[in-house]
Amino acid sequence: MSNKGARNLFIFGSLFFFLIFIVLTFDTMGKLDKRAPEITEEVNAGKMAWHKYDCIGCHTIFGNGSYFAPDMTKVAEKKPKGYLKQFLMDPKAVNPKASMPKLGITSDEADKLISFLEWISKVDTNGWPPKPILAGAVGVAVKELTEGQKVYQSLGCSNCHMISGIGGTTGPDLTGVGSKRDGAWLSGHFKNPKAYVPNSAMPAYGHLNEKDLNVLTDYMVSLK
Amino acid sequence: MTIKHESQKIAQNFYTFAVLLFLVQVVVGIIAALQFMWPDFFILNFNIIRSLHINALVVWLLVGMMGATYYVVPEESETEIWSLPLAKFQFWATVAAVTAVVLGYIIMGLYPQANTLVFGTRLLNEGREYIEAPRWADILIVVSILLFLFNNFMTMLKTKKWTGIQGVLLGGLTVLALMYLPGMFYTKSMVKDQYWWWWVVHLWVEGAWEVIAGALLAFMLMKTTGVKREVVEKWMYIEVGLVMFTGILGIGHHYYWIGTPSYWLWIGGIFSSLEPVPLLIMVWDAFRTTRETRVVTNKAGLYYTVAHAIFNFVGAGLWGVIHTLPQVNKWTHGTQITTAHGHLAFYGAYVLLVLAMIYITLPAIRGVKEFNPSRAFKSFWIMTISMVFIVLTITGAGMVQTYMERLMGLDYVAVKANYNLWFWILRAVFGVGFLYGVVIFVIDYFKLGKERT
Ligand code: HEM
Ligand code: HEM
Ligand SMILES: [Fe+2]
Repeated sequence: MSNKGARNLFIFGSLFFFLIFIVLTFDTMGKLDKRAPEITEEVNAGKMAWHKYDCIGCHTIFGNGSYFAPDMTKVAEKKPKGYLKQFLMDPKAVNPKASMPKLGITSDEADKLISFLEWISKVDTNGWPPKPILAGAVGVAVKELTEGQKVYQSLGCSNCHMISGIGGTTGPDLTGVGSKRDGAWLSGHFKNPKAYVPNSAMPAYGHLNEKDLNVLTDYMVSLK
Repeated sequence: MTIKHESQKIAQNFYTFAVLLFLVQVVVGIIAALQFMWPDFFILNFNIIRSLHINALVVWLLVGMMGATYYVVPEESETEIWSLPLAKFQFWATVAAVTAVVLGYIIMGLYPQANTLVFGTRLLNEGREYIEAPRWADILIVVSILLFLFNNFMTMLKTKKWTGIQGVLLGGLTVLALMYLPGMFYTKSMVKDQYWWWWVVHLWVEGAWEVIAGALLAFMLMKTTGVKREVVEKWMYIEVGLVMFTGILGIGHHYYWIGTPSYWLWIGGIFSSLEPVPLLIMVWDAFRTTRETRVVTNKAGLYYTVAHAIFNFVGAGLWGVIHTLPQVNKWTHGTQITTAHGHLAFYGAYVLLVLAMIYITLPAIRGVKEFNPSRAFKSFWIMTISMVFIVLTITGAGMVQTYMERLMGLDYVAVKANYNLWFWILRAVFGVGFLYGVVIFVIDYFKLGKERT
């Protein structure tokens, strides 16, 4: 091949692939709206706040961004809204061990950010983040669950709490909670957390039926 | 070694600014690494520190490439720069704009509320990774790049010597300028936001910049080994051609999980898997040319050139391809594996490229016949070994994170705080090692040609 031939191949080949890319871009843009819920003013205001505080400087969203703090794609699905709001406004008041600083996010901005994150969690991301395939190995699926464990699991408590190293770090670790609290305290706390822990960001579970509440309390008491 | 055209000396202004920003980047990188262990230990939060780290990186590499271009174009065109005052103005305007942006980040770090909306855009920080610079700064950056391109095109037009090297170099720089534009408008949808954002980030590092690297590689091989122009230019066309053929659609590897249609899994997987091919040809090109040469005029320069080719392939090619298939990326996406790749790719492809250009052109600019390369070799080995260990450390952290968080479902914070702690400690230690290498390089940069041998 002559130098001129190589040069032309480079120039026209590049243009060719760029053209294909433009066509694909048009096609993609046309399909995006169907893969996500409608963007309300509230959601957009939340996105503006996301940029204002440079959240991406620590977090990822759709897995892109910084790897210093958890991914935000599914938080709105996993964590209770009340907790999120309190945390956004003053992280360390909710969780003393939190690394996130208090940025001065207002109550209004927090609401909008949560709407934005809810929108994000509903986008069709081709199945990302994937379900952990080894979760069974961590223990839950291996042995028969007790009634209390089943309730604990179905409510998603482990999104925030940890037991023996498994679960979230958002709320307190429950590994030895049975030796710290008694049944009365625990069941009262489930019904109205703020009455027991003034700053609590945990949702109230007063709506649970008596049986679920009891087995859950028994399970907690058994954690010694 | 001497320069043929007085105005080529302007390159040195750009190099000096680049070298100083390199130092800042690495110091700030160490602060960022320490914040993984103690998030509150510094007055500025991690996000600001990280923005400074990656913006300093991108800016110093760009400034270094500009300096290199101001050297290469007069050399290839065999004439003085079209307007030296314009080049000087463009240099100082760039310094002023960069300083203003940095001050803005620091203010925003101290008072987050200062990042207000002005004319619908953010005043201090746009809150988008790599392109954090606010809109007013984007416009200044574009103006600066346009002045720079204009000046170089006019230089080329003076003698109309259309050499392949300067054609590809200026072509790459033009695409670079154009690809900054997709990052300059607001979209309400985060999906579209990331779609366009990747145009800037991916089409820069895996498109335009890699084309610039191909042109500079050809220039450097020609200067250090005296190989024939026809030969290096032909391989250059093949390399940069393959870069574009694989890299443009290779952008699909960023469109797997952001809300875009699933056909990108196929397109991205196939094309990005081919991206290492041109990078491997560059390595082969560098070795072949070096082997054929008997007299090497600039040992340090050639050393850095060959190292650039090798680590471009290892960092971008190998460390890129390991997580580029959707089946793998599904698990590793957004973990420390990405950080490991980001570091080795930028170091190999662009840090070593700019340093190589400095070692090849600076002796001529300073009018030195021969210089003692011992400090250049020393800093190379200290930087490279430290960087390799940083990357291995962070690859380890990424594997632990992928396994525990993504496969077993453990909590992000638990993995970061407990299981990866040692990796953070080691990264900081090797980071200090890297800084030591940079300091030796900076000393060498300022002393080169100014001391008796
Ligand atoms: C010199 C060229 C390259 C540079 C400087 C570079 C740099 C980077 C950086 C900094 C990121 C992270 C972006 C972010 O912060 O979100 C990234 C992501 C990525 N790169 Fe590269 N890269 C290069 C070439 C390549 C090549 C050739 C491949 C494939 C063969 C590749 C594959 C990837 C993939 C798959 C990701 C996404 C990682 C994830 O899913 O989190 N890169 N690259
Ligand atoms: C002393 C050496 C260095 C240290 C300790 C260091 C540390 C760090 C840290 C802690 C981050 C944040 C990562 C995260 O979000 O998880 C980071 C990001 C980054 N650094 Fe460095 N860095 C160093 C040198 C460099 C060098 C020399 C380069 C370029 C060659 C570089 C390029 C980047 C890039 C592109 C990112 C953002 C993308 C990513 O996280 O993948 N760093 N660095
Ligand atoms: Fe990419």
